[in-house]
Formats: sequence, structure tokens, C-alpha cells
Amino acid sequence: MRPRLRLYVAAGSPRSRAARRALEDALGACRLEALVEVVDVFAAPEKAMEDRILVTPTLLTVEGPRRALIGDLSDRGALDALLRAVMQEDA
Amino acid sequence: MSATAGLEKSPTGIAGFDEITEGGIPRGRATLLIGGPGAGKTVFALETLFRGAAERGASGVFVAFEETPELLRGDVSSFDWYDDACWEREVAFVDAQLPEGVTPAGAFDLNGLLAGLEARLAGMERAETVVFDGVDVLLGLMEDPRAIRREVLRLRRWAGARGLTVLVTAKSRGRGDSLADDRAFDFLQFAMDCVVRLSARLVERTAFRALRVQKYRGSAHSADELPFVIGPGGITAPSQGGAELVHRVSEESVSSGVPRLDRLLGGGFWRGSSVLISGVPGTAKTTLAGSFAAASAEAGEPTLFVSFDESVDQIVRNLRSVGIDLSRGLEAGTLEMHALRTRSANVELHAERLMRWIRRREPRAVVIDPLSALVHVGQHAAESVALRLVDTCKSRGATLLSTSLEPGDPRNESTPIGLSTICDTWIHLSYLEHGGERNRSLSIMKSRGRKHSNQVRELVLDHGRVDLADVFTAGGEVLMGTLRYEREREAERRAKERRRAVERRRHELEQALAENAHRLDAAKLEHDRLGAMLEDLRDRASHDEEMAAREERRVADLRAADPDPGGGAE
Repeated sequence: MRPRLRLYVAAGSPRSRAARRALEDALGACRLEALVEVVDVFAAPEKAMEDRILVTPTLLTVEGPRRALIGDLSDRGALDALLRAVMQEDA
Repeated sequence: MSATAGLEKSPTGIAGFDEITEGGIPRGRATLLIGGPGAGKTVFALETLFRGAAERGASGVFVAFEETPELLRGDVSSFDWYDDACWEREVAFVDAQLPEGVTPAGAFDLNGLLAGLEARLAGMERAETVVFDGVDVLLGLMEDPRAIRREVLRLRRWAGARGLTVLVTAKSRGRGDSLADDRAFDFLQFAMDCVVRLSARLVERTAFRALRVQKYRGSAHSADELPFVIGPGGITAPSQGGAELVHRVSEESVSSGVPRLDRLLGGGFWRGSSVLISGVPGTAKTTLAGSFAAASAEAGEPTLFVSFDESVDQIVRNLRSVGIDLSRGLEAGTLEMHALRTRSANVELHAERLMRWIRRREPRAVVIDPLSALVHVGQHAAESVALRLVDTCKSRGATLLSTSLEPGDPRNESTPIGLSTICDTWIHLSYLEHGGERNRSLSIMKSRGRKHSNQVRELVLDHGRVDLADVFTAGGEVLMGTLRYEREREAERRAKERRRAVERRRHELEQALAENAHRLDAAKLEHDRLGAMLEDLRDRASHDEEMAAREERRVADLRAADPDPGGGAE
């Protein structure tokens, strides 16, 4: 089964675009196939509230223990650490 | 409502604050509450929301960055203005603490929060106010000061577009009170239309809370410190009293409890007036105060007697020895006595307590013995409390008798809290040496709207009675001309005021001079800088010209043509 991730963004914001790119890059680099759901907070505010999203972008793990990264994912080390953890759980 | 046209204000419901800002915080704009931990920022914000709901039916959202809504509820549910029915209806909460397990991984913005708020507000009617409580928590995660600036502007723009009044609270980092201590949040202060600084500090071991409007764009405001307390009524900032005095004036007299004193006063005290009894230690101030309280209570009128630093039992016992029985009133319930320790609280807390007793009991007579005790906890604050006390009693038609302990020779000092000028009747007690005896003397310094004797009497305290003896003379003349006495004091006071005014003016001029010197320095620097620039320009221009001429020559040389007779080479 492919791990599921959810990326909250504010559509059109430069930080959100940067986060999507960084996530795609990182997934490609570690050859992880994940289901990534990209959610625009202004289009689905209730969902964002449920997930207690305060800042955008926020990357969330959907299953397993809650893990979250906030920011444009320019911190590649933090992003890789999260993806590694997801892969281990998956395995 | 507001003295300033074009700027609408939104009342906070905190009386003293709305007064000094002439209507509250700017409506549809952003206000910053800044202060150290425990300064009362959160209470201020919550009180504004709850009072807005109760008084205007306005609703608001509280965004909590630091505490869970449930914790906040526990913190505020004991306040008078807290209303459970409003919780989550008129006053909605958004838990804006970053959940556990969140790791920062780059630059972010607050769009997520704003989207959630939008959804929240959509379901609310008459939403007026949004509070961002502890915004520094989230902004503090941003390493780039430009990002902080961007997000502060985002919040402002977002609220401005929706006509919402914003209250932002933030902890000040520095220990001091100046802007420079909060460099990280400089921009926050800059971007807000109104900045209110709250502080809590220890003054002589008692906590002293105060707030100050540091900035209020487009509005007049008092920049003075406003002392406040946090009590059961929430933030209680004293009303400074309207500029206009409107009190019912009574034609009725009440007895001082000493028949001969009543006669001297031309019938007693006016009901609802304020009476001051001043005197050095041991001149029987408490005795006169007690005799008034006993007479009032005996007449069946609710009477409040508040003593500072002397226990109720002790006063009752001491006064019994001169025939004043307070226990009858206490038993009958017409007399309520309280003893307070001056040092137990700060002056505002004492004031709040006094006002609460007065409001609850609605006494017709109030005795504060001695009111001057409050001076120990701050002269300026004591004066303000004294004024408010007089105002409160007057507006309720209660007669207020306060005593004031005079330090030493009364001619050298005015009453410690300047009470003599605001009271209607002023009785001064002192000792007079006469024929080897030391006698207590009583003089009526003033009694507004009353014909009164202006002569000194001897005050006799005997077993079982308090009385006045006939005109007290020494060598055929009255010892003190009371009118002269009062005039001397007045002149003294004026001289003091004049000196103070000169001092103030001197300080102002010195400051202006210093400022001007700075400006001169700056102008000098600017002058030098401009001069240097001009010189540089000249240099460069001549250099350029030289280069151009050289180039021309070079070209001419290259062409090896016959030299131009005018512009030839040297």
C-alpha cells in the first residue's frame, strides 16, 4: 500500500508552489510512491480546521502517528526524515 | 462618542480605559496589547469580548496561540462579566496552538489560520472583533524578520478588508518599558494603529499594575499611566471622574455626634458632604470619627466605618472609654466596620474594596480612618483614590468623613493628600500649650455653605463624654486666626505649585535644547555629507572631462592628422 500524505497550501502562494516542488523532488529522490492530496485551505477551510492547520504550507501524514512539517519544505533534511519515517512504518 | 472626526471607536467596556481613549480602541483597525507575562493582556482582551457581547450584542473570535480554550475558560469563569451562555456563541474560540509533532521546515505564512477564521466568522452574526492572543508564539518561529513583517501586514489587511476590529496581544521580551527592548516586534508596534502597554511591577513590595496608551493613530489620548487592578470585576481601571461635577446638593444636616460641634458648625454637616478631620497623632481624630459613626448608626442609617491599621475591636474598646458605644450599631446591623492593613495590598486594590463595600451597602455615612494611610502606598495614587472616594460618596448622597494624620507642624505641610481643597468641611485638631498644660484644640478651617464659628475651641475628652470647651484663649487673644492660617496654607500651596511649574518648564526647555542640539548635529552631518557629495561630483566631472579630452587627443593622435589649431596638445 502506498503511504498517504496531505499537503495544505494556500493556492497561488509562492511558498505553496515551492513546497509542492520540494515534495515531488524528495519523493522522486527516495523513490517513494505516495498518495499526495493537495488541499487549498481557502477552498476547504473546515477540513483545514479539523486538521488544525494554522500555517501554510503544512505537510501531514494521514495514517499512523501524526507527523507534520510546516513551511515551504526548503529544509530538505527535515523532509527526508519525515519520508524515511513514513517508509519504515509502511514496511 | 469620539472627539476625533473620522475615526470610529469601539468601547472595551473597561470604564477607565474607554475614558482615557475617549471611546475605546479604534474600530475596524488593529490594536496591540503588549506587556510582560501576567500583565493582564489576555484578561483585557477577553473582557472586551464578553462585555461587547453583554452590552452591545457584538460577537467576536478569540484566537488562542498559547492556551487551550478550556484552560482560558477556567481562568475567566470567576469574573463578574463571564457569561457561560456567550461561550462559543458570541465569543468563539479557535485553538491556535501548534499541535504536537510539528516540525518547522521552511518559510510559512498564516493563510491556514485565516482560512479557518473565515469559516468560523461565516457562521457568526455581528462579528466585530478578532483577538489574536499571544501572536508572538507563532511569529517567533519565523526566523526572517521580513516574514514577520509580511505576516503582520497580512493579518491587518485581512481584518481591515472585513471591517473587523483587531486586538493583538504579545509578550514584551525586554525587561524595560521602552520600544527598543522589543526589537523583534518593532514592526508589530509600528504596524498597529493603537499600542497599549500593560505592566505589573513591585513598588515597595506591593504589586502595582498600570496600563499606558503608547500610541493612538489619529486620536487624542492620555499618555499617562493608568493604574488598574484585576479583581472579581475583571480589569478595574478607575474612572477619573467626568470633567463636570453634578451632585445632588442636600439641604439636610446630619449630626457630628458632638452637640456643641454641631452648633459651631451651624447645625452639623450637610448630608452628602465630605468632611476632613486633620491633626497630628493623638489629637482624637478617631474619637470624633467614631462619634459621628455612632450618631449616624443610632439614627438608624446604614454606616460604614473603615479603619486602616487599627483593629475593629481596639477602636470599639478605646471609644467606649470616652462614652462612644459602637457595639450597639454593630449589633443592630446599622454599622459595618472593617479594618484593613495598609500594606496588605496596593492602593488601587484598597480603593476597589472600598468602592465595593460602598456599592454593596449603600451607606448614608462613610468613615475612613485615616485616609492618609493610603499615602504610604503612593502619593499620586492616594490622591486619585481620595478624589474618587469623595466623588462616589457625593454621587450617592452619603456623607463622607475622613481623617488625615498630619506630620508635625500643620503650618508647614498641607494635608498629605490635598484633601483640604476638595472637602466641604475641614476640622483641624492640634495640641496647644497653655499655662503648662497641653490641651487638644479644635478649629473649623472651613465649612462650605455654612455659617460657622472661626474660633478655636478646646476639645475635651472625659470619661463618658466628648465635648468642646469655650473659646480657647491665651493672654486674651485667640491663638490662631483661622482665616489667616488657611490663607497661609493656600499661599504656601501656590508657591509650591509655582515652583513646580517653573521646574517643569525648565525641564521642557532643557529637553528642547538637547533635542535641538541633536538636530544641529544631524544637520551638520548632513551638511558635511552634501558637501562631500558635491566635491565628489566635481571630482568625477573633472575626471570625466579629462578622460574625454584625453580620448579626444588620443583619437586625434591616432588619426595622425594635422593638429587642430585651437585644441592642440601641450
